Amino acid sequence: MMLTNAKKIKFVPAAEQLREKSAHLISDFLKRKTPDFIIEHAQILDDYFFESFENSMIGPKMGMEKNPYAIIALGGYGRREQFIHSDVDLLFLFEKYVPDEASDLIQEVVYPLWDIGLEVGYATRSLKECVKLAGKDLEVLTSVLDARLICGMSYLYSALMEQLRNKIARKRSRKIIKKIIENSRLRHEVFGDSAFLLEPNLKEGQGGLRDYHTMLWITKLNSNLRQFRDFEYYGFLSHDEFQSLKKALHFIGSVRNCLHHLSDRKCDQLYFEYQIKMAHALKFETANGQQPVERFLSKLHGHMEFLKQQHLMLIYELGLSKNLKSRGKIARPNGVAGLEITENGMLNFVSSENILDDPSLLMKIFEESAALNIPLSAEAKRLIREFSYLVDEEFSSSAKQIESFERILVKPISTFNVLNEMLNTGFLIRFIPDFKDINNRIQYDEYHLYPVDRHLLRTIQYIKDFGTSGGKSKHPLCNDLYKGLKKRSLLLWAALLHDIGKGKTGVSHSVSGAKIAGELLQKKGYGAEDIETVSFLIKEHLLLVKTATRRDLNDEETAVSCARKIKDVDQLKMLYLLTVADCMATGPKAWSDWTAALLRDLFFKISKILEKGELASREAIEAIEKKKAEVLGLAMPRYAKDAIETLFGFMSPRYLLYMPSASIMEHIELYKNSGADAFVWNVAKTFDSNTRTVTICAKDRPGLFSKIAGTFTLNGLDILDAQIFTWRNNIAVDIFEVTPPADQIFEEERWQKAKMQLQEALSGDLDLKKALKEKISVYRPEKRPVNGRPHQINVDNESSSFFTIVEVFTYDFPGLLFMITDAIFRCGLDIWVAKIATKVDQVVDVFYVRDFDGQKVDLPDQEIMIKNTVEEILPGFSS
Amino acid sequence: MKKVEAIIKPFKLDDVKEALNEIGIQGMTISEVKGYGRQKGHKEIYRGAEYVVDFIPKIKIEIIVQSERVKEVMDTIQKAAYTGKIGDGKIFILPMEEVIRVRTGEKGEDAI
Repeated sequence: MMLTNAKKIKFVPAAEQLREKSAHLISDFLKRKTPDFIIEHAQILDDYFFESFENSMIGPKMGMEKNPYAIIALGGYGRREQFIHSDVDLLFLFEKYVPDEASDLIQEVVYPLWDIGLEVGYATRSLKECVKLAGKDLEVLTSVLDARLICGMSYLYSALMEQLRNKIARKRSRKIIKKIIENSRLRHEVFGDSAFLLEPNLKEGQGGLRDYHTMLWITKLNSNLRQFRDFEYYGFLSHDEFQSLKKALHFIGSVRNCLHHLSDRKCDQLYFEYQIKMAHALKFETANGQQPVERFLSKLHGHMEFLKQQHLMLIYELGLSKNLKSRGKIARPNGVAGLEITENGMLNFVSSENILDDPSLLMKIFEESAALNIPLSAEAKRLIREFSYLVDEEFSSSAKQIESFERILVKPISTFNVLNEMLNTGFLIRFIPDFKDINNRIQYDEYHLYPVDRHLLRTIQYIKDFGTSGGKSKHPLCNDLYKGLKKRSLLLWAALLHDIGKGKTGVSHSVSGAKIAGELLQKKGYGAEDIETVSFLIKEHLLLVKTATRRDLNDEETAVSCARKIKDVDQLKMLYLLTVADCMATGPKAWSDWTAALLRDLFFKISKILEKGELASREAIEAIEKKKAEVLGLAMPRYAKDAIETLFGFMSPRYLLYMPSASIMEHIELYKNSGADAFVWNVAKTFDSNTRTVTICAKDRPGLFSKIAGTFTLNGLDILDAQIFTWRNNIAVDIFEVTPPADQIFEEERWQKAKMQLQEALSGDLDLKKALKEKISVYRPEKRPVNGRPHQINVDNESSSFFTIVEVFTYDFPGLLFMITDAIFRCGLDIWVAKIATKVDQVVDVFYVRDFDGQKVDLPDQEIMIKNTVEEILPGFSS
Repeated sequence: MKKVEAIIKPFKLDDVKEALNEIGIQGMTISEVKGYGRQKGHKEIYRGAEYVVDFIPKIKIEIIVQSERVKEVMDTIQKAAYTGKIGDGKIFILPMEEVIRVRTGEKGEDAI
């Protein structure tokens, strides 16, 4: 008891001192006064241990002479990387055995640290135990690899390190390194690629600090590297790389430290909530249209990408990556003078002078890498970076280089993504200077997972994957479309450049991107037509996905308006592939089964309209625009422009295309006069032929058409031709060409009667069917055609995505149209478009129908039912 | 309290959200769902290959409201989601036993 009290009095100040120093250090760090926070933080801990060691009450009792001991820092503390909330890892190392007093020593030294809230982990081991454990447990080994003597007997520390080297590192380093690499692979799988993640893990993710630790461990085991500087001295890194790595580590470290402070705990995952605060804490400012947080993340991602690359390269260069053996067998000669394959199977330049003599080697090495599926050596990448100034305007616009680049672009992706290397080495930015503005550009939202430049390369990768056998099973439609493309390179150019406009502020990035791409390709000598295609794809790269998610796909007009913009099937295919790849490359929030279903549905609908062509061709679009202008000209003084334009919105392209402007005007007048009536009609005499044109404007309802047809027949008016159109505000415009009434002297009265009958039929007061039956029995066709073709009824569900098309070929007789349309009505179908043509006595009637819910009728049962119902009423089939 | 669940056409989401905001509904949960009702799926034929669209993408909105507001919310959704064509969706009303706000522990209508 006495002892404990005494200890408290004696040692609490030391811990207290540590706490004060630490608080001071943190406040300096926040004022950005301590660039080497983690080192200084480790130092004040060291100070604490010195002092407790000096003043220890227990120490002298343990018989230091017989069984010497040392206090050793492990792990991060050992590396002098003590972040605000890092653990303090300690090893109490004894030469011979762990004495009983060790627990008192721990109490004396460690407990005060716990009391001030530090996370301290400690181990008490004898030298022998420690080496044995390190041999068995990888985690122990790696922490001991970073060991650093704090105080105590220094020769103990040296002995530990030497035994590690002799007993473990020398004998089994290769096996252990493999295990370490395997562990980091697993770690990357769990924590993901931090260089791309929205909420990167600063420590454990790929590109996180652990990658650097792994590099240290491997080189320590493999080459007896002792400290960070040795990376350069031992030749693992060039001077520039070493400097960049130092910067990267420092930046990521500051971010991690700041995160510990902001979250007030040992938090290594850079969650959204901290990102904006962090950008301000690190004094980022708005520039070039980017928010501070976007610039902060760009920088962080850049550094993490660099760290990630160094980690990968080290593993690769040491020949330690997984498929080393298979790689060793590659002995293919490469035919390009000035390039060679290194011993460990990588591409390199023969000498840097060759590059100066022939700068085109800079492009050739990439092409070879893609063709042979061999990665570039670290040395080659270094040289490319250094000589990339040779890629000037002349180089970038030479036809030969462009051809090479295009071959790389189109080449299916191999294990080593050559385009990524082009970006990493800075070559791509030289070759396509516009890439500079989007390099590492982050868009701060939950949607865009990747910086713009990476996103573009990923888009290309997805498109090329469509062409592979894997793509065929996963995306059969995309595979089919990709294989059918005439000029894949244009699609890939568009993919490479589709977001290039994001580097510019102001206008929409699709528009500015299309412009930039157009100018770029012109410089590169592409033809006008190709440039137009690429610009089009870039300009409209959001059209499909926006339309699919924001417009009603069941509305024919939706697909027609897209079809008009897209103009031809090949462009549609490219646009669809670009859209799918773009969404997939953006991230999981932009691409799901759900979006895929919408997008594919839209694709089919547009493709059908384009293949049929009539509503979406260039001529059709021009004709429609011209017609609208004419109608406006006719209407303008009397009607407001807005009102007419609203009505245009209701009219289908089909209607606008086929109806003369004078007639459209006439229909507008009829519509304006209709008021509350169920219908209005207008009867006009044609001049040259003895027929009447009846134009009816009515509120649409199922069965309307058959009732009108029936009323005409009832009045002895033979229908020669009929066209029906439905406006989208539920107004039907039906135009009938009929024979005049038999009694032309009292024609007016006949029309009046017919009008009344139609009113009664619509209100249900008149049973048209019964009335007609009586009437038709009077004049049944006398002669039936003997050698004509049989009746034919087709139900077509393929030509249109929006309508079922019913075609009836038969012989004319009075009441036929009524019978057919009535049969269609009885099938529960609504007629949207009808084309009636009578040639002598052969009739071809075409109806575009949907059910009352507006759906196509495409079940086999339904198709048969429609056929049967219509057949029943045709002569020869009826009983 | 009631739970109002509405299945609507995807492109109508903004309209419905705005309409609900206007009547002062402050929170909702939305999810992308697939399914079918009377608007059965259909098939598209492209170059001989059949692509069956059996489940149709829809949006599901979930809102918890005080019982006396149910009708207002229902009417608002119906009006905003209406196109008059098939597949406009459905609205379900379910009893809601309890609501707890995680942060404060408030219960019942206070937690809505």
